[in-house]
Amino acid sequence: MAPSSGPRLSGMQKQVLSLYRGFLRAARSKSAEERHKIESIVSTEFRRNAKQVDRKNFIYIEYLLRRGKKQLDQLKNPDTISLSSFDVGLPQTKHTKR
Amino acid sequence: MPTVSASSATFTSPLRLTFPTNQVALKASNLKMVSMGWAKKGFPSLRTSRFRVSCAAKPETVQKVCDIVRKQLALPDETQLTPDSKFSALGADSLDTVEIVMSLEEEFGISVEEESSQNITTVQEAADLIEKLVQGKPEA
Repeated sequence: MAPSSGPRLSGMQKQVLSLYRGFLRAARSKSAEERHKIESIVSTEFRRNAKQVDRKNFIYIEYLLRRGKKQLDQLKNPDTISLSSFDVGLPQTKHTKR
Repeated sequence: MPTVSASSATFTSPLRLTFPTNQVALKASNLKMVSMGWAKKGFPSLRTSRFRVSCAAKPETVQKVCDIVRKQLALPDETQLTPDSKFSALGADSLDTVEIVMSLEEEFGISVEEESSQNITTVQEAADLIEKLVQGKPEA
C-alpha cells in the first residue's frame, strides 16, 4: 500500500476527523434509536461548520474543537443516553476572517 | 618463459570461476521453486480471481467493500464502481471517508487505526487493509 496516495491533511484537519470518528464511535454504545439520532445531529453539525467556517479561521476552529471534545466526553459517559440540539434562533453569524 | 606462465594463468582462472557460478545458479533455482510453492499455498484465490494479480484481497471482500461504499455514499445503481474507484471521485469528502471506514469496521469486526484509515482512498486499498486486519485476528 502506498501511504503517499492519501490526501495531505493538516494537523487541524486530522484533529477534526479524529473528533468526528470519536463521536461516531461513542454513538455505537447508545441504543439503536438514539444512535441514529446522534449520528444525524453530529453529521449535520460537522458538515454545517465545514461549509460555513472559513478554513483560515484557526482560532474559531480551535474553539470548536475544544467544545466538541468536551461534548464528546459527556457523550462517552454511560449515563448519557441521548443527544439533542436546538436552534436558538440567533442571527446568522458569519464566521469568516475579518 | 613469460608466454608459458601467461597461458597457464588464463587456463586456471576460468576453471576457478565456473565452479562457484554453477553453485550459485543451482541455489537460485532452488529458491525460486520454493517461493513459488509458498505463493500457491498462500493465495489460492489468486488462480481463480477475476481481478488482476496485483490485487491481494479476495473478490468477496472487494465486493463487500463496494456494497458498503455504495450504501454509504447513496450512489445510484448505474454508477460504475471498480476496485480502483477513488472515494473522492465518487463525491466523498473526508467526513464521508471516515463514515465509510467506520461502517467497514463494524461489518468486518475489525478496528482500523487512525493513521492507516487516512491513507485509504480507493476500494482496493480498503479491501487490502481489511484482509490484513482480518487475518491478524485470532479467530477468523
